[in-house]
Amino acid sequence: MIFLKSMLRVVDNSGAELVECIKVLGKKPTNHANIGDKVVVVVQNAKSLNQHLTGASASNRVKRGDICRAVIVRTKSPTLRSDGSVIRFDDNACVLINQKDEPIGTRVNGVVARELRRKNFGKVVSLAPRVV
Amino acid sequence: MFVRNDAKEFRFCRSKCHKAFKQKRNPRKLKWTKAFRKAAGKELAVDSTLTFASRRNVPVRYNRDLVATTLKAMSRIEAIRQKRERAFYKNRMRGNKERQLAADRKLVEDNAELLKMREVELRIKAEKAAAKAERQQQEDEMDADEDMDEDMESEQSEDEEEQQAQKILLRNKRKSKVKF
Repeated sequence: MIFLKSMLRVVDNSGAELVECIKVLGKKPTNHANIGDKVVVVVQNAKSLNQHLTGASASNRVKRGDICRAVIVRTKSPTLRSDGSVIRFDDNACVLINQKDEPIGTRVNGVVARELRRKNFGKVVSLAPRVV
Repeated sequence: MFVRNDAKEFRFCRSKCHKAFKQKRNPRKLKWTKAFRKAAGKELAVDSTLTFASRRNVPVRYNRDLVATTLKAMSRIEAIRQKRERAFYKNRMRGNKERQLAADRKLVEDNAELLKMREVELRIKAEKAAAKAERQQQEDEMDADEDMDEDMESEQSEDEEEQQAQKILLRNKRKSKVKF
């Protein structure tokens, strides 16, 4: 249940740490996002850029105040699965994506939900160390 | 199912367990949990019948014969497990009856006066009477002594008598506390 103004943790290496949801995409009139839904976010907290970073990870860094898209990978509110089970996580987390639904970062840290694969975020799922 | 951020999955059998988890209770310290009972040696924990039910990370190719034998084995293993559990329980409870009986006996022996038994009452009465007689005898002896050296220890004997009187009083008090 991600709404306008919800704060999300970012679990990739794009540089952002904390983002705020400013728009839930394609969800009218309910206006809340669940796992696998796209949102527009503004970066509230970002890791400082250092010179050791090179290549893709350096060029794709985001800064504080940047507006980008993200996909929800974990939610605290329980998600119902088609087999009747319910899954809930410790926190609300997302992965930043670009306009073509490709992840901005090159790595995903932490657990992601399996629902992402069905929503065509296979790249995120394959990058994640654990899929639940 | 709850998934922690380190990817550990928790399945709760009932809301009671979920609530206890949210309150950060340690299942090994809650007496009603399976974890406690196993850790405290109250249930069968190490047994070959229990290993069959555990999840394995090796995928098994489908085999009709294997399925048939597995299905047959399931009921058999369950029966063996139940038998072993019964034996374990019996072994754990062995000697409880005797221990309880011994404890009860000790309790009765230690607190006989609470039972209001006639013989006990009589025995205590007899003891009292004997003590009284003894005291009387002692006093008589003392009187005799006093006659012998009345002049020398008259003051001392008076003190002694006083002390004895106090003692008797105290003893009476103590005995009167015991209820019959």
